[in-house]
Amino acid sequence: MRVVWAFLRRTGTALLVLFGVSILIFVIARVIPGDPARVALGPNATADQVAALRLALRLDDPVPLQYLHYMAGLVRGDLGISLYTNRPVTTDIAQFLPASLELIFTAGLLMVAIGLPLGIIAARFRGRWPDHVVRVVSLTGVSAPSFVWAVAFMLIFGYWLKWFPISQRLHDSFQVAPVTGFLLIDTLLAGDGAAWRDAARHLVLPAFALALAGIGQAARLTRANMIETYDRPYIEMARAFGFAPGRIARRYAFRPSLIPSLTIIGLDFAAMLGSAFLVEQVFGWPGLSRYGVQVILRKDLNAIVGTVLVIAAMFILVNIIVDLLTVLFNPRIRLAKGGKA
Amino acid sequence: MTLLSIRDLKLTFRLWSGPVEVLHGISLAIGKGERVALVGESGSGKSVTARIILGLLQEQRNARISGTVEFEGRDLARLSARERMSMRGRAMSMIFQDPTSSLNPVYRIGPQFREVLDRGSPGISAAEARARAAQMLAEVSIREPDRVLDSYPFQLSGGMNQRVMIAMALANRPALLLADEPGTALDVTVQAQTLDLMRGLVADHGTAVLFISHNLGVVREFADRTYVIYRGRIVESGPTAAVFGDPRHAYTRALMAAQPRLTGGGLPDIPERDPAFDAPAIHHAAGGAA
Repeated sequence: MRVVWAFLRRTGTALLVLFGVSILIFVIARVIPGDPARVALGPNATADQVAALRLALRLDDPVPLQYLHYMAGLVRGDLGISLYTNRPVTTDIAQFLPASLELIFTAGLLMVAIGLPLGIIAARFRGRWPDHVVRVVSLTGVSAPSFVWAVAFMLIFGYWLKWFPISQRLHDSFQVAPVTGFLLIDTLLAGDGAAWRDAARHLVLPAFALALAGIGQAARLTRANMIETYDRPYIEMARAFGFAPGRIARRYAFRPSLIPSLTIIGLDFAAMLGSAFLVEQVFGWPGLSRYGVQVILRKDLNAIVGTVLVIAAMFILVNIIVDLLTVLFNPRIRLAKGGKA
Repeated sequence: MTLLSIRDLKLTFRLWSGPVEVLHGISLAIGKGERVALVGESGSGKSVTARIILGLLQEQRNARISGTVEFEGRDLARLSARERMSMRGRAMSMIFQDPTSSLNPVYRIGPQFREVLDRGSPGISAAEARARAAQMLAEVSIREPDRVLDSYPFQLSGGMNQRVMIAMALANRPALLLADEPGTALDVTVQAQTLDLMRGLVADHGTAVLFISHNLGVVREFADRTYVIYRGRIVESGPTAAVFGDPRHAYTRALMAAQPRLTGGGLPDIPERDPAFDAPAIHHAAGGAA
């Protein structure tokens, strides 16, 4: 019950935040210099042509009026037309978002599946060589931004070693009907094993480049929280009852340590939405982030606002999910009934 | 029959500042089913002694241990870490000072209890473990075992958790129970109740107890024999009645004089060090082992 309530409350505030974001990005997109109509039509267009487009785009209306007009469209599910692709912004987003999500989910999975075990191992063998190895690896991971790793991986594993492809999501020789937009799922639906393997190989480098900082962060955090947990009396009690050290690490020390780590891991996951802008650019990944970069450079107002709103909504969604997980994993919060906290 | 015998046990920690000897050669013995107290102030070496018996300090890399600790006729130093681990939770177990923080906060009592029972009977089924746990909880006078098994430690009172811990510690019928200042974190009445319970149970099961405490009143009630430890040395030992009735070592006397009394009159200070405290150990003979 509590969980349901928490969810509803968070959804309410989330809508409020999105509303604020929409005003902010709407105003910012219009305040930055440059005439969208001029950029769209190019240097050879006449002043009349530009004026006609400005009129069609209602660019000469006061900004609050433009905003109201935009919001009226938004509630009907209409985000306007992109000047860059000449298609409805919703169509663009529907096309590019799945690629971004596929990349970010894969990176998030890598972060948790690699970062947490590394942290557990480091804490369990604290001060011995596995700990030192993990610490060096995670420090390296967090000390360079993801686009640097993207370029480095591309050079080493793509260009020199030729282990993995370095751009796009799928080799041209494969044709897969888009159903979900997630290639790993669509290729499975099509029953095309070779295409699935090719899509997975395309994912490896960008996903690792995007995940590396998160892996390092998750490992460091898990290690630190577990070392703190190891000093708790219940760990000594587990030792006194003769549980094996590996079992103590995985079961007795890890679960309580996960609760404080979870929030930060969630934030790191959400931060990937931002890092993805540059990683997608480097790998020519046809995702929403790369689309976002293109439309910002062209001052494509509707597309900018639409992209930012979608990314903000995802950011908030991730945060809500993390909050819910924290409640689920922490019995003390889950069961709290007023008095006893 | 001797269950545990410790001879000339020395413990040195290697620190950055150099080696520090914490135990200077202590010897003590516990018979089967016997209740023995180890009394001393904080930092006297009581708790490290218990952790050596359990084999926990042996795994710490900066600790050097010499002397012999024989449990059930086996020299602990000759056992592998794995063999020592297999004794813990089965042949010997331990209860701790603060029951609530000694139970894992993210699991319910039921699953925690099952893991303990699994040490004694590997592969025990969930249903059987629950039945055994409920029975053990009933033995420590918990009236609603099912509610307790379905609770998290933070939902139970300190006294309740203490009983749960005692039940867990005795669940696999250990030969030796180490009790490190049990219940010091609880209020006095609850502490007295649970100690009463514990005494009844260990007597029924024939479990030997090494009772570590700084609380002389509790020790007097609980133990057959008492060792007084001061700065890593045993200074006086013997049957509890003899040690309390006729304390002969200067430190024992100072310790007893420092007990609060209902009649008031304030507490004397025990000096940090006193040449008289370093006098040779005194062993009261009477009543068997010494």
